[in-house]
Amino acid sequence: MAHILIIEDDLQFREMLVQMLTRDAHRVTVACDGEEGLQHARQVKPDLVITDILMPRMDGIETIMRLAREDCKLPVIAMSGGRRSISAEFNLESAGMIGVKAALAKPFSRNDLRQAISQALI
Amino acid sequence: MKQTSIKQEAERYYRDSVERLFQANPTLDFEQVADCLTTSLLDASMAYGLIFREHADRHLQTLLETRITQSQKLEAVGTLAAGIAHDFNNLLGSIIGFAEMAGDDFPEDSLGKSNILQILAASFRARDLVARILTSSRQTQAKLEPIEIVSQVRESLALVGVSYKPDLLINFDAGIEHAVVMADPGQIQQIMMNLCINAADAMNHKGEIFVRIDSAQLDSGPGKGKPGICLLVVDSGHGMTPEVQERMFDPFFTTKALDKGSGLGLSVVHGIVTQLGGVIGVQSRYDGCDRGTEFRVYLPLSDGQNSH
Repeated sequence: MAHILIIEDDLQFREMLVQMLTRDAHRVTVACDGEEGLQHARQVKPDLVITDILMPRMDGIETIMRLAREDCKLPVIAMSGGRRSISAEFNLESAGMIGVKAALAKPFSRNDLRQAISQALI
Repeated sequence: MKQTSIKQEAERYYRDSVERLFQANPTLDFEQVADCLTTSLLDASMAYGLIFREHADRHLQTLLETRITQSQKLEAVGTLAAGIAHDFNNLLGSIIGFAEMAGDDFPEDSLGKSNILQILAASFRARDLVARILTSSRQTQAKLEPIEIVSQVRESLALVGVSYKPDLLINFDAGIEHAVVMADPGQIQQIMMNLCINAADAMNHKGEIFVRIDSAQLDSGPGKGKPGICLLVVDSGHGMTPEVQERMFDPFFTTKALDKGSGLGLSVVHGIVTQLGGVIGVQSRYDGCDRGTEFRVYLPLSDGQNSH
């Protein structure tokens, strides 16, 4: 099982992911935004990062790019429900262009998440 | 007849006035008296015309302002719908995730498990609905691509139908199973939504709307002579007068109450159909017998495609 860093600003969604991944026996570390996510990534050296795209302070796209600069082999899964005028598809397409291993449009099922994790950890 | 008698009466007043003025002013000749009266009448007429024009201008200005506000309101509603839809995705994500985990804590075949499955089924339906709302409120440039129109129409009708159940049903009959046209899926959704909303309003949201799709030959418009499809939307509502039919595609023209219609629905449909090289026709009668309205939208098939 993997050590997964979750970067997500929505408290409920974050808590849901923590429980879901813990039930699947993954080790989980959480961050509320990109900046915190980068700090945790340096400290805990996760096997995989699952990050939201639209977040305060540092958004997911910048976070993914910085993570790649620091460790180009670290696999990342991007997820987005979109917000206001920015659609989830647009966010995930942007994430796809900077090399994420999988993209999840919110809301997704547990199976979708498990598949994305398997795909990212190959 | 009545107008003629008023005119005669006015002429009589005019003659009497000239005569009275002529007798009261013996120093003036008849022509001078007649001129005095005609000049003052012309002045009055011009003043009246001016007042009338100012009034008409003010009225027009008010109408324009109302319409601009309505159009801004529509835009705001679209943006709001998109914002809410996206926030719903985040909320639904939590609901689905927690519900799936809660389901793990119940034995299979238990009532608890079954209830959780109902929550999940409803949440996934809500997810689909949000996706449709997003599609219909998307304000992007239309991207024309070959799309299979029968399934697109069916999907659009499912969205409209949800809003009107159970008093109003949409009966879809597909005379063909497959046809490809060049369009943006959102445009087809707009056409179906606007035609069905008008049909539903004409029927006070009760009864049955018939929608049929068939193959057809275009006999007018830029696609004249090309093979195409015909989309038929028939209601049994109050119908439209010839005057309304004449103006129904005008932007902002509406017969609905101010808070019920923007007057943009049919003009949007007309704009889309024209952009896609198609034509739209209507048959309607308004005689108090609810004979209904029938819209026919003809769209050309994508080049080299056949319908079947």
